[in-house]
Amino acid sequence: MRQLFAPGADALLRLALLTAAACLAALPVVGAGLVRSSYVTGVGVAPAQPVPFSHKHHSGELKIDCRYCHTTVETQATAGIPPTHTCMTCHSQIWSGSDMLEPVRSSYAKDRPLVWTRLNKLPGYVYYNHAVHVTNGIGCSTCHGSVTDMQLTYRANAFTMSFCLDCHRNPENYVRPKDRVLDMAWSPPANQAEIGPELVRQYHIRGGERLTECGICHR
Amino acid sequence: MTGDIASLRARLAGGDGPAFWRSLDAVADSPEFRAFLDAEYPAAARLAAAPDRRGVLKLMAASFAMSGLAACGQTDGRKQEVPYVRQPERIIPGAALAYASASLTDGFANGITVTTRNGRPLKIEGNAEHPWSRGGTDVFAQASVLGLYDPFRLQAPRHLGRPSTWQAFRAAMTGRFAALKAVEGGRGLHLVTGPVTSPSLAAQIAAMRRDFPAMRWHVSAPTGREALYEGARLAYGRPLETRWRFDQAQVVVSLDGDCLDAGPGQVGQARDWVEARRRAAAGKRLLALHHAGPSPNLTSAKADAPLAIGSDGLEQIVRDLLAQAGGGAPVTRDGPAAAWRETAFAALNAARGNGLVLAGAQAGPELLAQVHRLNAALGNTGRTVFHTAPVPVLDPEPLSALVEAMRRGAVQVLVMLDVNPVYDAPGDLGFLEAMARVPLKIHAGLYPDETAFRCDWNLPLAHPLEAWGDARSLDGTVTLIQPTIRPLYDGRSVPEILSILTDAEAKDGGSLLDAHWRRPGEDDAAWTARREAFLQAGFLEGTAFSPEPVGEPVPAPAALPRPAPSPAGPARRVEVLFRPDATVWDGSLANLAWLQELPKPLTKVVWGNVIAVSPALAEREELQQGDLVTLEAGGRRIEGPVWIQPGQAEDAVTVGLGYGRTVPEQLADGLGYDAYPLRASATPWRLAEATLATTGRKALPVTTQNHGTMEGHDLVRVQAVGSTTPVAAREPLPSLYPPAPTSPGGRFARERAWGMVIDLDACIGCNACVTACQSENNIPVVGKEEVALGRWLHWLRIDRYYEGGLDTPKTHFMPVPCMHCEQAPCEVGCPVEATVHDREGLNLMVYNRCVGTRACSSYCPYKVRRFNYLDYAGDAAPVQQQQRNPEVTVRARGVMEKCTYCVQRIAAARIESTRGDHAPIPDGAVETACQGACPTRAISFGDLRDAGSRVAAAAADPRNYALLAELNTRPRTTYLARLVEEASVKPGGSL
Repeated sequence: MRQLFAPGADALLRLALLTAAACLAALPVVGAGLVRSSYVTGVGVAPAQPVPFSHKHHSGELKIDCRYCHTTVETQATAGIPPTHTCMTCHSQIWSGSDMLEPVRSSYAKDRPLVWTRLNKLPGYVYYNHAVHVTNGIGCSTCHGSVTDMQLTYRANAFTMSFCLDCHRNPENYVRPKDRVLDMAWSPPANQAEIGPELVRQYHIRGGERLTECGICHR
Repeated sequence: MTGDIASLRARLAGGDGPAFWRSLDAVADSPEFRAFLDAEYPAAARLAAAPDRRGVLKLMAASFAMSGLAACGQTDGRKQEVPYVRQPERIIPGAALAYASASLTDGFANGITVTTRNGRPLKIEGNAEHPWSRGGTDVFAQASVLGLYDPFRLQAPRHLGRPSTWQAFRAAMTGRFAALKAVEGGRGLHLVTGPVTSPSLAAQIAAMRRDFPAMRWHVSAPTGREALYEGARLAYGRPLETRWRFDQAQVVVSLDGDCLDAGPGQVGQARDWVEARRRAAAGKRLLALHHAGPSPNLTSAKADAPLAIGSDGLEQIVRDLLAQAGGGAPVTRDGPAAAWRETAFAALNAARGNGLVLAGAQAGPELLAQVHRLNAALGNTGRTVFHTAPVPVLDPEPLSALVEAMRRGAVQVLVMLDVNPVYDAPGDLGFLEAMARVPLKIHAGLYPDETAFRCDWNLPLAHPLEAWGDARSLDGTVTLIQPTIRPLYDGRSVPEILSILTDAEAKDGGSLLDAHWRRPGEDDAAWTARREAFLQAGFLEGTAFSPEPVGEPVPAPAALPRPAPSPAGPARRVEVLFRPDATVWDGSLANLAWLQELPKPLTKVVWGNVIAVSPALAEREELQQGDLVTLEAGGRRIEGPVWIQPGQAEDAVTVGLGYGRTVPEQLADGLGYDAYPLRASATPWRLAEATLATTGRKALPVTTQNHGTMEGHDLVRVQAVGSTTPVAAREPLPSLYPPAPTSPGGRFARERAWGMVIDLDACIGCNACVTACQSENNIPVVGKEEVALGRWLHWLRIDRYYEGGLDTPKTHFMPVPCMHCEQAPCEVGCPVEATVHDREGLNLMVYNRCVGTRACSSYCPYKVRRFNYLDYAGDAAPVQQQQRNPEVTVRARGVMEKCTYCVQRIAAARIESTRGDHAPIPDGAVETACQGACPTRAISFGDLRDAGSRVAAAAADPRNYALLAELNTRPRTTYLARLVEEASVKPGGSL
């Protein structure tokens, strides 16, 4: 009687089994990679916006203060998205005929808001407060990256829980002097290990254990 | 489930029953009740009904797949940012902004502030400056914010059932009203409103009556206070408001009084009462409250000496008291009523001039007049009792006059504003049949209600939170109603509708109000300043009515011969008492789900009403809980379920108003029974005789009174007034474990220690805290069937205990939130650390970690944890979701939840404290929702380790004790024992 399987069948079977096992083993790795990829986190992706607003131009080159538009960043939970009116304070005078700014002018004229694509989001059960961070030595760029270098704005960091906890566990590695909070180019100076703990004391930051208690962010 | 009444009575009398009991089932302690307790959650018991091995595997596979699917959901919220075009002044996205306004009950105002965020009113708080409400609120105010977003509201004008517009309405009315005016000054025009206390609306109607001199104005007030004014008229010849000075009183005697009950007076009166009681207690005296009445209510529940007695017996008591007060020979009678009367009289007599006798509208005008005479005879009038002019406008005629005119065919145009007489007119009037004869019927209301369906024009009314207006509080203070949002639907306010009907140019509510309050010739600057002050404060200073002197009351007429009782037949004769519902009031609030699911203070029944009968009547007539019975009088009949109510007078049954609504598809449709058909317009609160008959059918009301039953003793404690011996031991219990981190001696012993103390002597069981908590913390309602399964979600429940026999028990209320135990058993039970402590002592609930094992709940001895069996929050209509507090997570299915001590408010205060010099959070900066709502300030909250805080002082009070302290959970929520007179305390401090 003829053989049902060719001599190579065994090897094929072994190969198939091996591949299946490898795939299974790779699955968590691939999955873990995927959730960290910019495809899922959106890090580094600049979505289309109604107006191609350039933070680099406005705050980097023209040196407009962050707080000119994000007015409530030092007092409220949210930093605030500027109303069309804020754009028009300048753009009724300069570039008032630009095609690029047509949506802004029409928003103002028709009293219809601009609809921006949201970049930075936190899950619904996380309560973040800008004011308490900004007034206690946590700078904009720590979370938002070097916005002054962004031609088109993108998400600089995936706001995973571990991202928040890194700082909540060791605030002394991230705190800055008050006058450097808005500095987008700030990076920890060489003596951060010395000034960090001193700043933490100055700001009355209850580091480590207290800041990692669940009720600090979740309610 | 209840055993027979006789054996219950024997158990209680024999002393082998519990000293404090929640329900007849608990007294009976039947095997069924034991099984119910053991199951703890009836719902869970059903699920656990042993599936086989295959079933378990299937369930596990399914739940694995489901949880995987659930994890794929979109969780990170909206995808767009939509800023303003022009930022409105004062509005900061996400920040709270409060407006002073008023909530209305039967036209009477309570001062409130409305917290808005992003332009949406979210939460009602009390207005601390308001002279009447002084920061307190009631359930109606707390729930009003839900009514604003109700998708079932009438959203646009309708004409003959078809959608129409305000322009069309105005066009149709202009000619009609001009013609009416031309012909005999508006003869045939009838206006129906609720009780009017608003000065501006009264002036507007007065102006309208000048234009239409023949117009007739009627008031429809199913829960109105006419009897009070009629009582004063009988005694003093003119209608008067009767007010009380509890702080001048040494004893309070209530004869069917309702000074602590829901209604326009509750917030202010309860505050007066509790402050007087506190002051007396500080002077080591008890401001005792004696109450005699046929139907138990919150006032009888707080009574130190309650007596259940029918109306006839009550009349006898007041007659005897009056004779005794006049120096007559002591009347000797036998029985508990006479004993009660002797004690009450002795106290009143000892405190002549400083006694206080009060009665409520439901006692009827004759009894009220007697009480006036009694107070005068005892010298109390002008001292503890004073009178002011009536707060509402008393011009309008009663509804009966309207019905009579309609029958005659004399009504051409009927304008009904914010009333629902087709539903709530007394049954003997035959309102609906009479109304059919009116050619043009106009109705304005918040909802398309029973009346709207029978009218030609249905006009949507603006909600008080979206309209301008004013109203007086019970003390006369003019209180502002200001809009906190632009009308969600196309609604207009009552003054605006009247303006459409009568003014050449229809005016908006704001300008109508301005026109009324601006003094003639007042210059712009002065007016603007005055107006700003009015808007800021929310009321007009100095507008409270001042006391009016009264002379001697007219002596009582000789007792009328009582009609002989009808011959006893096979039918059973009972007295019927009508009472507004403690949660849905007269029925106008029946569409508010929060109020439907709010357990009634005494019965703890939800989503329905009952016919309350006394244990004695139930015993005699062999009635069981839930038996459907009929009540019949004058050919009118109602049918409802029996509720055996301890403390009910023997031959009196109480029926609750506000149910039996029949508007299809609305929330209230089909809930409970309608008691209005049995009501008589002449004696709205009482029918002397009705026939009770059983139907043989049963419909058990859904009640939460046995849910969350704790097993232990001394749950409720009392202490003699003036005693300085602590009611409970203060030494910590011995333990083999090291102290908990937040306990003294623990790692965090020097941190802030959040804690709460609830004063059981001050708690009147009004439920304002429960509704405030629901509103603040996004607590969904679950519905009648789910409540029956024990799945309700209130974070704060009020346990009601009875003490003593079945017939005249004392009543105790005990609010039970999460205890935030320092050694929390729940935290031991959780396999995923979803419930953990923070260093300030908060027992946190981390929803995103919770996997729903419910172990924590079974470990909790206080039964304060709630589980989301279904996706209750997800069902809400989009417009209702607008009401949710953005500071609090909306919980999903499968998650445990519980009181957080309003952690969002603590977080806000903590963040606020990091500004500037990082000063510690001052005492009083964090006010929990329940604390803020409480009209009697029974709840204090703060840092227990701050020696100067109010809560620390309360915790050090000798009355302070912890619930189930013997378990050594070291709860942060503790209680102050209720005060009693020395004599009634048994050795050991607890009863």
